[in-house]
Amino acid sequence: MLSLKESAGEALSTPSPALEVSDIQATVLRPRPKPYCGEYVILRVGNAEQGREMLRRILPHVAPADEWWVPSLPGWLGIAFTFEGLKALGVPQSSLDSFPIEFRQGMAARAETLHDFGANAPANWEYPFGTPDVHIALAIYAKTNQDLQEVLDIARKSHHDLPQISVVYRMEFGELPEGRNPFGFKDGLHNPHVEGSGPAPAGTEAQVKAGEFVMSYPDEKGETANVPIPLELRRNGTFVAIRKFHMNVAAFRRYLRAEASSPEEEELIAAKMVGRWRSGAPLVLAPNHDDPALGADGNRNNDFSYANDMKGLSCPFSAHIRRVNPRDALKDEVVAVNLHHFLRRGTNYGSPLPEGVLEDDGAERGGVFLLIGAYLHRQFEFIQSQWITDGNFISHGTEQDPLIGNNDGEGVFTIPRAPVRRRLKGVPRFVSVRGGEYCFMPGLRALRWIADLKPMMEADNVRSR
Amino acid sequence: MATRTVTKPEDQTFEQKIQRARELYATGSEVGKAALEVLIRDLKSGTSRREPATRMSSAGRIGNRQGKVSELLVIAPLAPGGAERLRAMLELRDGDFSDTDKVGTVHDMRFLLLDNETKMLFATAYDGDWDPYIDDFAAKIPDGLDVLFGGIWEGWPGIHSPKVKDWIVSHQIPAVGWYVAHPDLTVKDITRLKRLGKAVDEFLDKVQ
Ligand code: HEM
Repeated sequence: MLSLKESAGEALSTPSPALEVSDIQATVLRPRPKPYCGEYVILRVGNAEQGREMLRRILPHVAPADEWWVPSLPGWLGIAFTFEGLKALGVPQSSLDSFPIEFRQGMAARAETLHDFGANAPANWEYPFGTPDVHIALAIYAKTNQDLQEVLDIARKSHHDLPQISVVYRMEFGELPEGRNPFGFKDGLHNPHVEGSGPAPAGTEAQVKAGEFVMSYPDEKGETANVPIPLELRRNGTFVAIRKFHMNVAAFRRYLRAEASSPEEEELIAAKMVGRWRSGAPLVLAPNHDDPALGADGNRNNDFSYANDMKGLSCPFSAHIRRVNPRDALKDEVVAVNLHHFLRRGTNYGSPLPEGVLEDDGAERGGVFLLIGAYLHRQFEFIQSQWITDGNFISHGTEQDPLIGNNDGEGVFTIPRAPVRRRLKGVPRFVSVRGGEYCFMPGLRALRWIADLKPMMEADNVRSR
Repeated sequence: MATRTVTKPEDQTFEQKIQRARELYATGSEVGKAALEVLIRDLKSGTSRREPATRMSSAGRIGNRQGKVSELLVIAPLAPGGAERLRAMLELRDGDFSDTDKVGTVHDMRFLLLDNETKMLFATAYDGDWDPYIDDFAAKIPDGLDVLFGGIWEGWPGIHSPKVKDWIVSHQIPAVGWYVAHPDLTVKDITRLKRLGKAVDEFLDKVQ
């Protein structure tokens, strides 16, 4: 009978060319600084020429990904555009038409695929998310507030005298104590390694072809993205799914309290939901107790697979990290995991809910994620629709991700155990979507290409290349 | 095949629907006409009138979905010698579709030869959407679909072709009506429930 292939693209041994890191934006490859702070700014472009003038001014300050592994940059600016934004800047129609359908429609229009129902529906998103007013997204990551202010100043000066460029949204973010997220978990631990991009981190995970994350390189299918056109526009560019979440920390704590009979058990259930203890220690390496030394050790905390836990007794099938990055857990299924990766740049906002508080204080706190990859449809959309908001792929019916699923208070969370499994019920929605957008994050030369578009070129057709 | 716009059921009252059906059946056969009256009586008496668990909805770009299950039906011309190849492939398998089992989302597959063996109709019911998984199929079971259709259907572009999705869609015919007994059960759900049922039976056998 036909046999399962071990991994996608295995037969293709073409080595990726070394990446043109100086043409790729830093945001794509560079991990957030330690500690980090920053701001997301959204701009609306009311006039194409003013928009391009703003681009020309800001361009020299958009950081490239050179030496992204050296934590040396004090602060950097990333820039990305929605479909509406590219239109507003006068990108030629033939280029616009060549973008993949999901990008042209935008995240809000994809609500059905993404399971953005109920509280997560675009109708409940914060302005301007999901409206045609979102054109340009700036992401500024910095080490200190001073560095941040310097970059913000550059951004401000790029359009302060251009009346048709308006700031429609600003939000600050910053690191919480000990690099934890509002739920109390260490975050930002794992990202796939982009082949040819530089030194690989320790761990058992294979490298993933560069074309999965940056256009104009071979991907895991052995193909090279051929849209959008022309090549000048797509070269070294990629897509970003931005998702802003609110985290209901009090609800999370209350749920743990109600389901557990001791503080130790609360910690165990929390870890089972995530797949890691709060310290970051993965359950498959530390099944019974947290191991803070392991959690803190970057050489070890990602060096694991699910091969010895195929019954899910250590890490439940439904745990967040086992769903969103199954590693080898689905190797016997018809799933090619290498087609479903993205780079994840997560940042937290708001102040922590003080220890022990079980009542919601009404404060806004949560996380903003930039999920970066060359194919929104088989990366972000696939993971969100097949792995986060469904359970069929792990034979769990309609069970969703216990932490970030769109559970409505009737959610279920299955914890495999011997001899009988434990099933938690009444799982509420711990995180709500506050907004999101699909953006295109061009390479630096492509930015120049957009900035230098001439009004007359707008009407010109760009031939397919 | 022509598509017709039918007045949406929710736009008509039950009485209007009865009237319309009666008018249309009046010009049909006697057996159909009589049987329609029985259906109307049953529907009215409420014996068979119930809110369906699911209604037909669209499965992605084309085709229908009932709950978790989707239907796909494709009719395309056979390649010269395609019918013989199909038979030989089926004989070779002798019922062994363990490659399809592996996919874990296919309820059934049917191959029919039409029009003097010049066309093949392929029909299947499967879980969810196929379109998100097409790349996974191509990567993990690169021959899984090509062995069913390659050399059989004229013009089958092959699973690795970027045109394969469009090819399927362009030959697909969505059902006008479709009944599913358990629209809430996927193949994986059924496998799980069978396992559970067996365990419960064993337990009951022990304690009886
Ligand atoms: C508020 C929402 C979310 C919370 C609280 C959350 C929390 C976490 C935590 C605690 C980890 C483990 C530490 C780390 O590597 O960062 C993690 C890992 C991860 N998350 Fe999330 N996450 C959220 C949303 C998402 C979304 C929307 C996606 C993708 C669509 C995602 C994908 C991932 C991936 C790929 C990993 C790495 C898995 C691995 O370690 O193998 N997360 N997340």
